[in-house]
Amino acid sequence: MKLFKRVALGLLSIVVAASWIVVSGAQAKTNTATYAMYGDVKDWDPSIAFSLEVKMLVNVYEPLLWYNPPGSDSQFTPALATSWSVSDDGLAWTFKLREGVTFHDGEPFNAAAAKASIERTQTMKQGAYYIWAAANQIEAPDEHTLVIRTKEPTPIDLIASSQYGAYIFSPKAAEKGTDWFNQGNAAGTGPYTVRQWAKGQQVVLEKNPSYWGGWTDKNFDRVILRVVTENATQVQMLKSGEADFISIVPADAVASLDKEEGISAYAIPSWKNSQYLINTQKPPTDNKKFRQALTHLWDYETVVRDIYAGHAEVARGIVPASMWGHNDKLSPQTFDIDAARKLLAESGVPKKDWKVTMAYIGASEEYKNSALLFQEMARQAGVEVELLPGEWGTIWSNAKKLETAPNLQSMTWWPTYPTPNDWLIGLFRTEEKALFNLSHYANPAYDKLVDEGTALEGSDRAAAIAKYGEAQQILIDDAVAIFYADIKSRIARRTNLEGLQANPAYDAVFFHRVSRTQ
Amino acid sequence: MMVGILFGVLTVTFALSRVLPSSPIETMLGHRPNPEQIEAARHALGLDRPIHEQFFLFLGDTIQGDFGVSLRTGQPVIEDIFDRMTATFELTTLAVLLVILIGIPLGVLSAVRRNTVLDHGARGLSIAGVALPAFLIGMLLQMVFYGGLGWLPLQGRIGAEMLLDYPFERVTGLYIVDTALAGQWAAFGSALGHLALPVLTLTIACLAIITRITRNLMVEVLGEDYIRTARAYGLPRRAIYFRYALKATLIPMLTVIGLTYGFLLGGSVVVEFVFDWPGLGGYVVGAITKNDFPAVMGVTLFLATMYLTINLIIDLAYYLVDPRLRVS
Repeated sequence: MKLFKRVALGLLSIVVAASWIVVSGAQAKTNTATYAMYGDVKDWDPSIAFSLEVKMLVNVYEPLLWYNPPGSDSQFTPALATSWSVSDDGLAWTFKLREGVTFHDGEPFNAAAAKASIERTQTMKQGAYYIWAAANQIEAPDEHTLVIRTKEPTPIDLIASSQYGAYIFSPKAAEKGTDWFNQGNAAGTGPYTVRQWAKGQQVVLEKNPSYWGGWTDKNFDRVILRVVTENATQVQMLKSGEADFISIVPADAVASLDKEEGISAYAIPSWKNSQYLINTQKPPTDNKKFRQALTHLWDYETVVRDIYAGHAEVARGIVPASMWGHNDKLSPQTFDIDAARKLLAESGVPKKDWKVTMAYIGASEEYKNSALLFQEMARQAGVEVELLPGEWGTIWSNAKKLETAPNLQSMTWWPTYPTPNDWLIGLFRTEEKALFNLSHYANPAYDKLVDEGTALEGSDRAAAIAKYGEAQQILIDDAVAIFYADIKSRIARRTNLEGLQANPAYDAVFFHRVSRTQ
Repeated sequence: MMVGILFGVLTVTFALSRVLPSSPIETMLGHRPNPEQIEAARHALGLDRPIHEQFFLFLGDTIQGDFGVSLRTGQPVIEDIFDRMTATFELTTLAVLLVILIGIPLGVLSAVRRNTVLDHGARGLSIAGVALPAFLIGMLLQMVFYGGLGWLPLQGRIGAEMLLDYPFERVTGLYIVDTALAGQWAAFGSALGHLALPVLTLTIACLAIITRITRNLMVEVLGEDYIRTARAYGLPRRAIYFRYALKATLIPMLTVIGLTYGFLLGGSVVVEFVFDWPGLGGYVVGAITKNDFPAVMGVTLFLATMYLTINLIIDLAYYLVDPRLRVS
């Protein structure tokens, strides 16, 4: 018994001592912001990074331009470029670069560095390199002028503000190669430098005192991107104030989190949207009327309200509502079982063939529940739906080949840089070998409109929008997909923060603009 | 024998990674790969070669200690394993020590005071430890000691700013040792505090086996003639229990401790996940969910080797504790 007591007493004293040290050690704090991130940074090379790295990238690196949130007075905020213009033929973009800027490693920022960064990203052929495909010549006529020439008229201003693949980095650092970056190194011009990377634990950013944008007393000196994989753990950290932001916010948790003292939780528009692509070559969905019938069997309102817990809007066309080029005048798809019955009867497809397959990512509750709802509605109209849940790699490779492709394929899409043609080309432009055009859709009239719109994006955006509007109406008339949800991003953070701006162009927090109110 | 088992593990993990209907390409390339990139990635991973060729390549690389590059972290798997092994080692070793320090005395006491309140209490505790899943114990402890009382940290291995403000050199990779060596007591306290809840969770989860086995073995031994003789001689009770009786239970006990330790090395997965412990467990969970097969195979092989090594050490320890084995 004595031994037991002694051991128990010993353990207790260790625990008490440890907690005392922890509590007392936590007192001397610098002005630090903490973001609970669901995973660790993988690709540190700014030419390659293409995932949650963006949380770090926007604070450490800068592109030539930042894209402003929808509804702003101007479309861009100057970053490393102070002014820019495009030639009359739309083939040459001239950027005047900011003077007196240095990279974190002390190298000067100039036109040669900007040219080297973009060219390196192009030749690496990884991540988002393809955004620069049209830029065939980059020149640095003087220290602070950059000229980008393109084969066809191309919106280089939009491309230069991409959240991936458009960052400018020190040429000296680039010489050290990807392996150097991947040890947790960085050399941008942004407000924060990478101070530390503890693999699997955290990334610590520290203020770059010589940042050209300057500093105020209220700015955070330090930003910790802490790896916290579990949702319940993130929520506890937010409640206690240990984290200022969390990255996993389940749809059904938003309302209850928002009621907690000191926490704000809400949803903001994003550029992500979800649709079921309908195979246009495989029977019975090779029949246009049959496809149109399917689009009437989707209960749009219920899916958005109940399955997405209101954190989505019914989509109108393929371009989401918060993206330029969205057209509110398009005729929407509607839930109408009677109309579906009528179209099915008119389609000429024999009733015994009213069977379709539907593939989706099985791990997603939203996909699963909306597929089940669709299956039931279709049954009421006499259409049998076979559900094929699976893992993305598998369903994607099945959908690419016509022999194994399903009639309906789940898809969630978002653009690499702010342009509507990302959807219009990526999902529906004719492909010799299907990659993401999983409707296997081929329509020369549509292709022509999209190509014309793309050529106009840089020079006459209003004309481009008109072309894209026509193209989208063709997609709706041809019923190539069930366009059902513009997804909102869910945010949960401490209430005492100011300077936050919802911007669907970047899936990250710009910490230099944010401060704590108390 | 060890080589045979390891070869078996290698073959099974390889087969599984190739049979499963998922492709690691998406993990590698992000959400928008083009055909050129897909082809290049397939080639780089050797997936375009015949399956038997892939197996021999994999075997050859593995024997040379090359487990490939993790698709998820982009780092060599062997480096990832060594980075994270020390974290798991620190966690599980402390848990095993605690299990031994609490479990054995508790088992002895339960045997000596059979059917008393203490015995029933210990049994209740053991059953609870076995019955409650580890993640639930972990989350309950988090709610009480972090959410409710605010005494202990919630997750991670050390306070976020400790690593920066109280730097210490990485000598052993064990934070409590390295911080102590560097004399950074604030960081030491933080590391210890962060260890408390995950170690406690693992301890509660594993306590039952050791306590119950000690108790049953002791009950058996206490009925032996030589114990009665020792009692008759009037030897102090503590000497009888701990010097004579407990010694006789050491061989089966060693086996159980070895198995527990081996189990913890691989089985701390859930606890590491709940506490964001940057160890092998959290690593392998992430790898499995992302089809990161080089990492999965590397960790499986590594854990199999560790498990076998522990068993070997336990076998050797038999000779130490039992002189009869040395004679035969």
